[in-house]
Amino acid sequence: MNAPELPQDFFTDPLGLAEPAVVITVEVNGTRVTQQVPARLHAADFLRRQLGLTGTHVGCEQGVCGMCTIIVDGQAIKSCLMFAPQLDGRSVQTVESLAHGDSLSPLQELFAGEHALQCGFCTPGFLMTATALAGAGRQLSRDEIRAEIAGVLCRCTGYESIVTAVERYLGSAANPVSDD
Amino acid sequence: MTDVLVRDEQPSALHARRGLGADAPRKEDARLLCGAGRFTDDVEPAHSVEMAIGRCPYPHARIRRIEVAAALGLDGVLEILVGSDIAIRTEPIGILRPVPHAPPIPHFALAQQTATYEGQPVVSVVATSRHVAEDAVELIDIDYEPLPHLADVISAMQPGAPVLHPDVLESNLLVSNIEGTSEAEATFSKSDVVVEGRFVISRVTGLPMETRAVLAEWQPGARELTVHVSTQVPHLVRKQLAESLRLDEGAVRVIAADVGGGFGLKLGVYPEDVLASLHAMSLRLPVKWVEDRNEHFRASTHGRESIHDYRIGARSDGRILAMSDVYTNDLGGLNSPFGSSQLSSVVFTGPYKVDCGFVERRVVLTTKTPIGAYRGYGQPEVNFAYERLIDRLARRLRMDPVELRALNMVQPDEFPWVNPVGAVYDSGDYERCLRMAASAVGWDAHREAGHGPFAGGRYRGIGFSSYVERTGYASAKFLAKRNSQFGAHESVTVRANRSGGIDVYTAVSSVGQGSETVFAQLCSEVFGLDYDAVTVHAGDTGSAPLNTGAFASRTVIAAAGALLDACTRLREKTVRIAAWTLGVRDPGELEVAGNVVRHRADPSVATPLAAVFGQAILGQGLPPGDGPGLDETAYFEPSHAAYSFGTAAAVVSVDAETGEFTVEKVVMVHDCGTPVNPTLIEGQVRGGLVQGLGSALGEELRYDSETGQLVNGTMMDYFAPSACDVPPIELLHTAVPSPVTSFGVRGAGEVGAIPGAAAVANALCDALEGCGVELDQLPLTPELIWTALRSARDRKQSVRD
Repeated sequence: MNAPELPQDFFTDPLGLAEPAVVITVEVNGTRVTQQVPARLHAADFLRRQLGLTGTHVGCEQGVCGMCTIIVDGQAIKSCLMFAPQLDGRSVQTVESLAHGDSLSPLQELFAGEHALQCGFCTPGFLMTATALAGAGRQLSRDEIRAEIAGVLCRCTGYESIVTAVERYLGSAANPVSDD
Repeated sequence: MTDVLVRDEQPSALHARRGLGADAPRKEDARLLCGAGRFTDDVEPAHSVEMAIGRCPYPHARIRRIEVAAALGLDGVLEILVGSDIAIRTEPIGILRPVPHAPPIPHFALAQQTATYEGQPVVSVVATSRHVAEDAVELIDIDYEPLPHLADVISAMQPGAPVLHPDVLESNLLVSNIEGTSEAEATFSKSDVVVEGRFVISRVTGLPMETRAVLAEWQPGARELTVHVSTQVPHLVRKQLAESLRLDEGAVRVIAADVGGGFGLKLGVYPEDVLASLHAMSLRLPVKWVEDRNEHFRASTHGRESIHDYRIGARSDGRILAMSDVYTNDLGGLNSPFGSSQLSSVVFTGPYKVDCGFVERRVVLTTKTPIGAYRGYGQPEVNFAYERLIDRLARRLRMDPVELRALNMVQPDEFPWVNPVGAVYDSGDYERCLRMAASAVGWDAHREAGHGPFAGGRYRGIGFSSYVERTGYASAKFLAKRNSQFGAHESVTVRANRSGGIDVYTAVSSVGQGSETVFAQLCSEVFGLDYDAVTVHAGDTGSAPLNTGAFASRTVIAAAGALLDACTRLREKTVRIAAWTLGVRDPGELEVAGNVVRHRADPSVATPLAAVFGQAILGQGLPPGDGPGLDETAYFEPSHAAYSFGTAAAVVSVDAETGEFTVEKVVMVHDCGTPVNPTLIEGQVRGGLVQGLGSALGEELRYDSETGQLVNGTMMDYFAPSACDVPPIELLHTAVPSPVTSFGVRGAGEVGAIPGAAAVANALCDALEGCGVELDQLPLTPELIWTALRSARDRKQSVRD
């Protein structure tokens, strides 16, 4: 069969910007990046597609499932509900920031130790939610933790082990109050 | 984990080795915790382009005309395919597990003249970005002629109902199958008591957090199609893709690295997998499609919807004499890639010792999304029916529902037990699980305290549900009779490497079940090397031997035997080489221990595994008769299915005015044989239980009877449980080894999903016993209870009048 013709600019326009674009500057996991982004690209797709940070997952694109939870200026947010241009001038933290090389952070170790993940697709959402909770510095009861993490869905674990991992993290010395 | 693990069976000598029974840390965790999993959408080759699908917005419509000129003119659009292209370039999509004796309903990846469900693919577009591809779908002008819809099986079976597939069928009944003993009716008529009921199981979805996704790459000249796809069955997708695309299987490689949950929904090839491959072949570019969640609710298979007319005949002392179930599955508009859910028939008598009974399965087409497999595959549905009816029988006979169950359960000395449809239950202690559940849930105290009303006017109830689950497949022979397109076996290749480790290759994809961990444990157990020295390579048909896949709670049941065989042979050759090297005449005097092969009596006589493996790989320093290489492939098919079993119990409190209720606690006592990894089993059982409670209490896909359309097909409107919606759960285990599997394992993947609905419904009916409420449909909402309370009150009133 004959291949359909590719557009003239296909190889010079690898991002497929057959649509309006915006230039943004954003700090991601401590690194400043400046990129041209399609105006209607959401923040999760920006991280995934343009920066290769595929640890932030996309599950519903309507702000319900919480797979895409990241931290923007200290707040846990659902990155599918934010356009990439809205990140301009802000600071973003994703799941890729947690481990140092191959060694897991205390929070990640607790998730492994409590069997708080199965398929692992939702896990980055819970890890970033827990990281933001720790940043807020409040002690929480198990029921409060349940309420705080209810914005991220998990279909595998039944949540109990996730609640335990987050509870142990928030209550542990391994949770330094830091300003980074 | 704080819950009790009862390990009261003596482990056999084999189990003394490190590996089996250990809570080994998961192989899968580190990459997933770092966000470094490789889910299909994470694979992004250079110059990838994206596909979007135009879907039929009606439940049933004729496609009169498709106009694509405006869409083709849009900047960035590369290719558009319509139904006629597909009919020329592909074969219809095959079905892996057809309903026995059902005629095939051929369908293509894109609808031809008629679409028979909302969401059926009609056109596909590839563009430089998903945004542009979706813009193009909007620009395609499709002239639909809406046709009458059939929103439920009752209307689909009415005389004069429009027939959805008139070329193949005379009505919307796809097929009916009857199995069981012929004297059942006579036994019912001889029974002292017959109870019967209609049990309505709602339509739900497995809802994995990762939607489906596919990335297809074509190498022209080499004729290699590489397809990354989120699936539970890479080798079966390869087979189906090759057939549909008219390619040799050798040209197709399917890779499912990490899969973000499956639950039965990702079984077999979907239209989008065929379409992405076609586009990749004509464009010679990598083509990606990631299902969005709104598509997922309409285009990925649904689960469960069925109506069960169940009967139990019993003697006045409670002994059950006969059971029957006539049930209708709502298949939707087409066969799913896997077929309808079929196991209601096999386990329709549950854990009960009854010689006499029959089951009739009717599969009916409607204008809804196809129903496929969903965790339990018919077993949760039929469990709801028989366990609700057992409680009714107990009320009718004024018997304790626990005692009635115990009286009728198959006892440990009665195995193997053959049920009326020929299913062979292998072993177990069903009554012990029931008694443990009754004890843990405080049944005796509840019987004394009564139902209330207690503080706040609330009534309290406890309900039970006992079950068996067929895990794994009976045999290839069983499947062949049903025209199944897959076998009952599992396979592994184990291969030594120069670092002194073993690579294990399996096409069982990692869907969250922890199979990489369990395979490494079993390899370590049998071979004797360190768990950390085993690397499992999962889900790539390019490297893994032909297999069946990750479904039907079957992976470990079949794979344990393959690992046992392959690792034993690998160990024997390793030890022969080491004996030759060390000058030990009898290889039987050597053992593998960690990273060395050593003499059993004198551990100082030893050689590193890495050295032995290196010799074999080089083909140097080998004993006479042994050639180079350390590489074994083994297949294993269990002789029979293994039946997991157990009992769940739920405690509820309910407001008898409004129907508002709380599930205060759920206990589940579960036996899946010899535990390979207790923590992982508990994770499977708990997760399944919460999924089952989701279907029981809140989840339901609702179709509008006026328009035939799905009314709650978004994440906003479909209520999967969040962390706030889960009641306290206590898990208890027993561990009776199965005699039909290697190591005595039983499946654990689906059991949790089976008993929750019946346990909660029985608890609610127990609490409201005084009101005469029977709850026979799902989901169990306050509205359902309120309505049942009203009609019970009205019935009493009219009796009084």
